[in-house]
Amino acid sequence: MCFMCDMWGEGGVWFNNPKAYSRRIYKLRAPGTSLRKYGETSELGIGALMEKVQRARSDDPDQFPGLLNEVNEAIVRQGSGQAVTLKEACDIVDMGMPLASMHCICRKNVRAIEETNAQEYSCLGTGVGMFKWERWPERYRGGVHFMAAQEAKEWLEKWDKAGFMHLVMMIGGNYVEGICNCEYPACLAIRRRLDLGLLTLIKGHYVAQVDYDTCIGCGECIKRCQFGALKFEVRLDKANIDHFACYGCGLCETECTTGAIKMVERKTFPALREVW
Amino acid sequence: MQKMRTIPKIEIDHSMCLTPFDCKKCLQICPQAVFFVEAVKVERFKETNLKEPGAFRLEAPSRYACSGCNDCVEACPVDAITITWP
Repeated sequence: MCFMCDMWGEGGVWFNNPKAYSRRIYKLRAPGTSLRKYGETSELGIGALMEKVQRARSDDPDQFPGLLNEVNEAIVRQGSGQAVTLKEACDIVDMGMPLASMHCICRKNVRAIEETNAQEYSCLGTGVGMFKWERWPERYRGGVHFMAAQEAKEWLEKWDKAGFMHLVMMIGGNYVEGICNCEYPACLAIRRRLDLGLLTLIKGHYVAQVDYDTCIGCGECIKRCQFGALKFEVRLDKANIDHFACYGCGLCETECTTGAIKMVERKTFPALREVW
Repeated sequence: MQKMRTIPKIEIDHSMCLTPFDCKKCLQICPQAVFFVEAVKVERFKETNLKEPGAFRLEAPSRYACSGCNDCVEACPVDAITITWP
């Protein structure tokens, strides 16, 4: 179980707890009224702290490691994003009504990519908050596009096929804000984790495992990995997955034509149980 | 995490770079995705005009990742980017 399951899972996976989608939890996210004790760090504070760490990496390399630890401790108290497989994402969609797709804010900021209509939207918001987000055209150009659960699942499959990994977003309360479809380096969550070591994204509840008897060495899965966990092992003529580098997003599994890659629960590996 | 190493200074001349979101050449050419563009003119319930001079501002917050390929300097139509190495 990850630290978010410890805090909010009530015995299970935190994003499978229906409480994480309730209107009450959403309302409680307002500063000062949160269910949890934030300590000195407010919800807005954590974003600013992450930016501070990012700047320190360039401006002040000596201070960087100390600052990184400090901010990671704050993130562990507040929660962060987590990699999910397509199947887990579809289960979230079943619980997270209302659902609406929208503009990806990271790709807008990092690559100046405009997503102006429902066909292009690549970010998914869940829960009652969406009724409010619709009114923010200054941040979400063109507003949002409301979807039924089935449409949202097909939409997730479309982006999975295109090569985006899925992560469930939750910053500032045990309320599931939505599912991002992401890729390195344009995604700020993946970027800050891989480049800086910030826990903006933690590994998922699954790990990809290759069955060497079924793997035909076609190499299709390798180009899908965002985390450098997959390589083609020449002499074995098979895909090789580094379990410690795997984030459990399942992109390799959905691409595998022979079903050789299976997503196995992280808790079943003794050495991976505490690797997030 | 990347090891500590030489990090360049990336200066952006904001008097020259006026519509970075509309131009987006450096943002999309950078192999290390060093740049970041953000709306500085935000009015509630209104979409910020991408072509309005000064409405968006270009920064280089991930300059720790810069490899010094100079693609952005060459791509910039108004010569607003300067990269200096210590």
